[in-house]
Amino acid sequence: MTPLETHGRPAQARGLTAAGPRITKKQTARVGRYVLVYACGLFFVCFSVVPLIWGVSTALKTTNDQYAYPPKWIPDPVTFEHFISVLHNAAIIRGFVNTVIVATSTTAIALAVGILGGYGFSRFRFPGRNTLLWSVLFTQLFPRVVVIVPFFITLRHLHLMNTLPGLVLVYLMVVFPVSIWLIKGFFDSLPVEIEEAAVVDGCTIPRLLWRIVLPMAKPALVAVAMYSFILAWNEFLFALVFTQGLDKRLLSVALAFFIDENGIRWGDLMAASLLMSIPAVIVFTFSQRLLVRGLSEGALRG
Amino acid sequence: MMIYPTLQTLRFSISAVRLPTFETTFVGLANFAAVIGDSATGLLLERTIWWVVGTVVLRFVLGFLAALVFNAKVRGTTWMRVLVLLPWTIPAVVAANLWRWILQSDSGILDQSLTAWGLTGWARNWLGNPHTALPAVMIAYSWAGFPFIMLLILAGLRGVPGEQYEAASVDGANWWQLFRFITVPAVKGVLAIALILETVSAVNSFDTLTVMTGGGPANATQTWSLAIYRAGFVDFNLGGASALSVLMFLGALVLLAVYSAANRGGQVKQAWR
Repeated sequence: MTPLETHGRPAQARGLTAAGPRITKKQTARVGRYVLVYACGLFFVCFSVVPLIWGVSTALKTTNDQYAYPPKWIPDPVTFEHFISVLHNAAIIRGFVNTVIVATSTTAIALAVGILGGYGFSRFRFPGRNTLLWSVLFTQLFPRVVVIVPFFITLRHLHLMNTLPGLVLVYLMVVFPVSIWLIKGFFDSLPVEIEEAAVVDGCTIPRLLWRIVLPMAKPALVAVAMYSFILAWNEFLFALVFTQGLDKRLLSVALAFFIDENGIRWGDLMAASLLMSIPAVIVFTFSQRLLVRGLSEGALRG
Repeated sequence: MMIYPTLQTLRFSISAVRLPTFETTFVGLANFAAVIGDSATGLLLERTIWWVVGTVVLRFVLGFLAALVFNAKVRGTTWMRVLVLLPWTIPAVVAANLWRWILQSDSGILDQSLTAWGLTGWARNWLGNPHTALPAVMIAYSWAGFPFIMLLILAGLRGVPGEQYEAASVDGANWWQLFRFITVPAVKGVLAIALILETVSAVNSFDTLTVMTGGGPANATQTWSLAIYRAGFVDFNLGGASALSVLMFLGALVLLAVYSAANRGGQVKQAWR
């Protein structure tokens, strides 16, 4: 319900007094509203999608056609040469493999620590429990750029500069508070009585966690997995500062410096970008409801 | 986990860091003096403020309008909403590269289209011209970010019962009054959170700027976070980079303090409950 929806109202109000033209006026108002909303909606769709279509079109047409004038929007002939050339590009493949390794390790560790930490924070009272909230706020609300220098030096001391474990470690710093926080919040909403009953029946704590608590906490685990995976998949600043050379580069950095002696091959770049986008688009499209609900619920309640 | 690095940044900011051993010697406020004494710092601050304000405003205006459109609940607009979300879902590096390709001088689709429509005078080297580079990157950055604001505002609007609008319009309220006194109060909490998140992400933003322009041409798109990177990892002046970081940190603190004062506190915490 927005102001747009109320455009029909005055006509409706007038229609109540004059019985004759009531239906037509009402209909005109409704059609008018339809057209207005549709037109505005289409405007936003074009704004969002036209640049993307151009990218996809670039990835699918021959290099000559890319510079054709007037511009050719529909690739004719359609070619997959750019995708093939990307799949033969050692730097891109290297970046892809590195990114997959980093993103999956970050996700796995974030989940494991999130479960254990979240359970502890949820079920036990101990001094310093409130630090969690602060560290969540801290990692989310403070500029990440501020900590690159100390992270850089810490990684040097640990001899983890330019290694994938080093990058995983850095991402975990960002992911841990959020993952523990999300999982704790979910555990808080689970009734303790089920666990008490299980313990009374002789269930050990690890078994309890594995068999009873985790299956119930699936939504929170999915949210954490998506959050950590996407963070590691898309991240650029840390990946750039903490790696050197082609060997340990992540995909995001490889795409940012996608240039060779012939300049930038835009077809290849767009094809690679398309491939890199697929996991992110899928995860975001599925998780947007979850994410937005988490962020706005507190606000609505307040 | 974040506090220790922040303290370390503080320590480095008052030290000279010698490479490659990372030995530090205390130099007092020399790093800060160097930053403040540098004539480029004023411009850098000004540019950063422009960048933050510009992108936040653009994202909010676009996001709010889109939310109003898609909240009208006209049948057959769901597919539109899904498509509008796409720019937000692609990785920032991809979005930046895409816009770099679109904005190429001459061979870019924008300049080619302008020429094809007979607007040759409008075509220009968008990212190579110091006057247009920053606005161009702002548009690309806002393009990628506005769907998130739209989603948040849509979520906020969902809590408003339709009867409120009906009652108000029966009482003779016009669309502006409906907007001002029903819609805006309903999404206030969400807007506050979105404002913080967007401000931080604008201050933080590094990838879009780095990929599209790298801070150029002639520093026209150099913002505070790019300056930290350049000082630390191009010039290897870690003390200077730390001083810049501390100043940025203080700036963020001031912003948050102003924000929570304006909001009578509490709201931020609630967002995370």
